[in-house]
Amino acid sequence: METTPHKSAVGAAAVLTPRAPSPEARDALAMKAAASHPASVSSPRRRILIIYAILGLAWFAFPGGLVDWLDERNATGWLAAPLALARGIDAASAATGVKAVGQGLRKRFSSIVGTDED
Amino acid sequence: MLFPTIDFGLFFALSLALVWSLNSQNNLKKVVLLALSLAFYASWNWRFLLLLLASGVISYLVGLYVDAAAARPFRRFALALGVALDLGILAYFKYLDFFIAQVLTFAHALGLNPSIAFVNVTLPVAISFMTFHAISYIVDVYRGRLAASRSPVDILLYISFFPHLVAGPIVRAHEFLPQLASPRNPGDFSLSENMLLILGGLFKKMVIANYLAVRFVDPVFTDPSQFSRFDLIMAVYAYAIQIYADFSAYTDIAIGVAALLGYRFPENFNQPYRALGIGDFWRRWHMTLSTWLRDYLYIPLGGNRHGALATARNLMLTMVLGGLWHGANWTFLIWGAMHGAALVADHSWRRSVVFARYGAGRIAKIVDWALTFHFVCFAWLFFRSPSLDSATQYILGIWTDNGAQSTMPGIVPPLIACGALTQIVPPQTRAALGAMLDDRGAVAQAAFGFAILYVVIAMAPSASAPFIYFQF
Repeated sequence: METTPHKSAVGAAAVLTPRAPSPEARDALAMKAAASHPASVSSPRRRILIIYAILGLAWFAFPGGLVDWLDERNATGWLAAPLALARGIDAASAATGVKAVGQGLRKRFSSIVGTDED
Repeated sequence: MLFPTIDFGLFFALSLALVWSLNSQNNLKKVVLLALSLAFYASWNWRFLLLLLASGVISYLVGLYVDAAAARPFRRFALALGVALDLGILAYFKYLDFFIAQVLTFAHALGLNPSIAFVNVTLPVAISFMTFHAISYIVDVYRGRLAASRSPVDILLYISFFPHLVAGPIVRAHEFLPQLASPRNPGDFSLSENMLLILGGLFKKMVIANYLAVRFVDPVFTDPSQFSRFDLIMAVYAYAIQIYADFSAYTDIAIGVAALLGYRFPENFNQPYRALGIGDFWRRWHMTLSTWLRDYLYIPLGGNRHGALATARNLMLTMVLGGLWHGANWTFLIWGAMHGAALVADHSWRRSVVFARYGAGRIAKIVDWALTFHFVCFAWLFFRSPSLDSATQYILGIWTDNGAQSTMPGIVPPLIACGALTQIVPPQTRAALGAMLDDRGAVAQAAFGFAILYVVIAMAPSASAPFIYFQF
């Protein structure tokens, strides 16, 4: 194998090379992105909270999945506490009608696609 | 642990909090990231952790030796040894049984009956990607693109980092290792843009790829003789969309997850079905593989430095080996050879007088696109077929109409259209939308992210099939 830059790289580039931005351009883009996000906006805690909020809302909207998931892994009872919490969320979601909307949409899409999902 | 599962959702939520809480203690953070990556890999089969560790140790030691050895022959020997060990592991697990089968077939054809037994080993998940990462590191050190790392944790983390571990993108050592040197700045990455990347990936995988596979492509390719000519043709187009949606979804999620953890991965797809010519296709499809093959195989073979014939040979060899990298099967070898031959033709055509005169016209571009797209689709037929016999049967089914009625489900054309839309939407859309959302504040980001996730979960099947590239 060669250790020096190749003339062939020029020809090969025409065949196999993606047009990637140069490292300088990438750095400039990264700096621009950093500059456009002040510290409070780009703080890790804020980002984690937003992602957790999305996951939490999805859990509330479709609570059945996590209940089943925990139930399957709770043979020895070590997940009793999270399972109780998941069941509580499930009950709250059902009581507010959120769960039924999600289930209804899933059933409706399943029938459109033609899969036999409950 | 597949990306679109509750397991991974919980794993990612935990990783995110752990990694950012340790950001100021970079060394500890890397150890935790390595432990998380090993746990991720162990979730498939913990026994193969030894393989991953062996690959890391080989790369680490060879890198140190290559860096330290002053004399070129010693450096070269160490490099050859390291590459041979990496490829040896790959060959043993992935190709040995295939090779034995070919030897036995050949021997039986000659009337011989040698007593060679198959090794029958389980193919470790991600072995091909792991090998390419390991080779990238030692070759980059040999070429002086980066200094050998003194930290085994860095090398192991580079090879095993969980977002890219199983199906890429193939991240070069000189792209990734410098990112491990210091704490990461979350401000370098747009939260909304990467959130959109992950959610878009989930939609492509869970909705487009899964339903196309389950409802149409898998049944047709399992027994093509039962389907009409129209269905057989449509299943090839559907597979073209399915494999794009599936594989680009994986890399989108991997890039997005890595970015949310503070690490930058290279792009892997750029609307490949818009390509004008096969060369252009490989600049848009699995870009990290094509550049890897170019830098670590095509150029060392001689590239285009020794005339047209040698260039053609090098292109063919590169693509045939690239095809074989996907799996030990004649179908992958033929798929690679088809692309190699097309690249040779494309290379010559674009240097011809006729192309220089007529190639830039509008009609020429339409013809160029149509030929490229249909060639790529035809080649997918071999890629998807379980065997050469099956591919031949499929082609014969298209050629000779069996008179069967079409049974293509009505959902297939909208799914294909959805996939086609991903090739048309301007690539800057996600960045623009992400920047707009970033400016709107946390509530808008959470609401928008939840709305997309809600749609994906409402439309997704209850269980997801593994990603196609997991088998490679």
